[in-house]
Amino acid sequence: MFDVHEMEVNFGPQHPSTHGVLRVLLKVDGERIIDAKPIIGYLHRGTEKLFENMAYPQCIPHTDRMDYVASATNNLGFVEAVEKLMGVTAQIPKRAQLMRVILSELQRISSHLLWLATHAIDIGAMTPFFYTFREREEILDLFETYCGARLTLNCMRIGGMPDDLPPGWLDDLEEFIGKFDAALDEYETLLTNNRIWKRRTVGIGVISPEEAIDWGITGPPLRGTGFEWDLRKAQPYECYRELQFDIPVGINGDTYDRYLVRMAEMRQSRRILEQCIPLIKATPAGDIKAKISRVIRPPEGEVYHSIESPKGELGYYIVSDGKGQNAYRCRVRPPSFVNLQALPAMAKGHLVADLVALIGTIDIVLGEVDR
Amino acid sequence: MNPWMQYLVWPLVKFLVAFVIVQVIVAAMNWIERRMLGFMQARLGPNRVGWHGLLQIIADPIKFLLKEDIVPANAEKVAYFLGPMLPLIPTFLVYCLIPFGPPPTFVAARVNVALILILALTSTGVYGIILGGWASNNKYSLMGGLRSAAQMVSYEVPFGLSIVGVLMLCGSLDLVKIVDYQATNIWNLFPQIVAGFIFFVSMNAENNRTPFDLPEAESELVAGYHTEYSAMKFAFFMLAEYSAMLVNCCLMVTLYFGGWTLAAFGHGLTSEVLGHWGWIGGLIGALIFFGKVMAFMMVYIWFRGTFPRFRFDQLMDLGWKWMIPLALANIFVTGLFVLAGQERLMYWIGFAAIGAVVFFMRPHKSAAAIPVEKRVHASRVSEA
Amino acid sequence: MQVEYPKPSWNDRFLLLDLFEGLRTTLRELFKPKVTIRYPEERLDPANRFRGMFRFSYDRCIACKLCAVACPIDIIYIDVHDEQREVDGKMKKLKVLDRYDIDVKRCMFCALCEEACPTKPKSIWLTTKTYELATHDRGDLYFNMQQLEYWEDRPRYDGLPEDEPPAALPGGNE
Repeated sequence: MFDVHEMEVNFGPQHPSTHGVLRVLLKVDGERIIDAKPIIGYLHRGTEKLFENMAYPQCIPHTDRMDYVASATNNLGFVEAVEKLMGVTAQIPKRAQLMRVILSELQRISSHLLWLATHAIDIGAMTPFFYTFREREEILDLFETYCGARLTLNCMRIGGMPDDLPPGWLDDLEEFIGKFDAALDEYETLLTNNRIWKRRTVGIGVISPEEAIDWGITGPPLRGTGFEWDLRKAQPYECYRELQFDIPVGINGDTYDRYLVRMAEMRQSRRILEQCIPLIKATPAGDIKAKISRVIRPPEGEVYHSIESPKGELGYYIVSDGKGQNAYRCRVRPPSFVNLQALPAMAKGHLVADLVALIGTIDIVLGEVDR
Repeated sequence: MNPWMQYLVWPLVKFLVAFVIVQVIVAAMNWIERRMLGFMQARLGPNRVGWHGLLQIIADPIKFLLKEDIVPANAEKVAYFLGPMLPLIPTFLVYCLIPFGPPPTFVAARVNVALILILALTSTGVYGIILGGWASNNKYSLMGGLRSAAQMVSYEVPFGLSIVGVLMLCGSLDLVKIVDYQATNIWNLFPQIVAGFIFFVSMNAENNRTPFDLPEAESELVAGYHTEYSAMKFAFFMLAEYSAMLVNCCLMVTLYFGGWTLAAFGHGLTSEVLGHWGWIGGLIGALIFFGKVMAFMMVYIWFRGTFPRFRFDQLMDLGWKWMIPLALANIFVTGLFVLAGQERLMYWIGFAAIGAVVFFMRPHKSAAAIPVEKRVHASRVSEA
Repeated sequence: MQVEYPKPSWNDRFLLLDLFEGLRTTLRELFKPKVTIRYPEERLDPANRFRGMFRFSYDRCIACKLCAVACPIDIIYIDVHDEQREVDGKMKKLKVLDRYDIDVKRCMFCALCEEACPTKPKSIWLTTKTYELATHDRGDLYFNMQQLEYWEDRPRYDGLPEDEPPAALPGGNE
């Protein structure tokens, strides 16, 4: 059963760098990994079952807590899925759409900053952690001024937004955008050109585009392989059709490419935010909710709607029986869950020290994997 | 002088004074490291315990003394207890040999072959790590201990080879004579810049400091060879690490940066000038020495705050495939120059290298700093 | 858009300039003023819309139970009974609030109850800017009607209005 040279090591649920409670069962030959099996379920909270017992508007705070790092996009996916089910997608006012886009892109930047912090500190560079959290602090302050919470935002409602923007929020946003590029340049001086960083990330965890599509990987890991697929361009939602931005893709599909892809994505998000500000100033203030009833009773049917969350394709499959205010079944397609499947394939042949880099580069959040 | 005084009591007194000073510096290093690392990382270090956190130096040893001393059940008792002590004792012995100031007062034991003795003593630190890692009865500690031992042993070679260039120039193993040579010529950094760089990198690797701190990396094997140690034994490991760092910094300053002198080509604060001023001159020399040593300790911290860490096989690659050939090449080139009698021409190598780095790193790009006034949230701070 | 690999020149590689660049960034950061807020001597003022601890106003509440229905975790416990009361000379049937308890230890501060409240200004609101709710006993975190209106031991911020509702926000809550 076991080869004589193999050793089974438990990269346990309690570990400083598994980004949550992930257990990886490693079969190692000395330092070489022969097999890495992720074992999940330590954070399962029964979210999908909870959704069956709650009315649709009550589900929104629970979606926050799945991918707790990027909660605005979780909210957005759910809200858009229900609106698609009800058929009111076209009635969402322009201002609400722009606010949703602004919040999603800010959330994308915040999630990528956190990814950079944890990835760098796993590989050993301690300082980018604190620098990125300093910038992230400002994004969280923007969120706090808008909806009252910093992490679990609950900032979208079915049919629009809960509140309008407070006065001065757009000015604060412009100020943040103005200095964000300089901050990114600062992080890049520490990492991008650094030969130690390159040695730790170039050639680690290479995936080809065909393999990535076979596994169902989406998001920056897929774009790092060179395959250009982003749901904001492929299946545009909200008002992404009118915004100009590029999709960064990688060349080799290794960890360094995924790092560059995410850094470039942050810059593109900043570009989107820049474009949204004049657009939102042109819409009438206060027009933030579609004219739908407060009690949400979607007709019978089922819908699958997915959006591009910072981690990949986040999908909601909602089945409604048309009778009650609760969903009959709500299934979430978490991007981290699907991306994590590729870990054994990526880790084979690398060393134990690379495993942390790989877990970091797939960018998993256990709240999403386990729900 | 009475031979008992001259050969026993007086060196013992000098050693004890040096020992106390060094231990104070090691304790202060704890605070300096945490504070400086914090400042580099856009945060404050410990600042609550005393005035700017200085009482942390006292709080930490108290904590270590009062903690529960856990011994794993199946640990090999003798090796477990011996593990932390082995790296510590030889490091303390080295303090006798390093000249902290102009002789004869500031050297506890002036030995002709001081350099080799120091190298031999610091090398025995590996035993403690191997024993500690193995005796803990823990797979991870064993792996960490073996890795650390392999790293330390393989970086001993460039450590020693890079010194050979200095020896060729100075012609002696006696540290005092090396410092005096540097006072009459220029700091050894300039002719031997490559060797200085190799020495610095090997020092980092010897002390298990970032970017070579894989054996201690928290994100890998929890804490490597000292995972299972608690309280005072862990404190001994930490003490051993900082003491070794300090010893290596002293060695670097002595070999490459002129020791306690601030002189070039015989002008400035050389040993004669300082000796002329009696014990005040000696004290000034010692202060200069410690100033340089502290600067190097801060460079250690600076590196820790900046670089990611090497993977273990990359670390070994670096040591065996790059550092050793570079050190051998350095010996060869230095030998050629010495044979030709033109040592002073080598100074241009150092000047060129340092000048090139300074030239290319001049602030000409718009690497903008983010001014504090433009931060959104700092404006909403209230005094509660 | 393909990502660009940085192309180091020969002097970058030879003179280790990439490492020096990182060193320079951290050295510069060493001397910048720090943004740390030294809690608890200094505190960050939460924003106006910050979702903190509840305040409840018995006078404004009309006992419609919409907040209890809206809560995702059902932590609002309301008991109501009908009474005949004299109002403006006529006997009217009014709802009287018996019990209005909130189990704050399970609350996730999502503010769905505040949104559901139909009175203007609202009878239950979360924008008290209080986030320091730690107690030593679990039972202390079960707030009944009187405690929700007048909690004594909470830390006070100077200048914070006591019984004023939050300022009307443009775009409106309704």
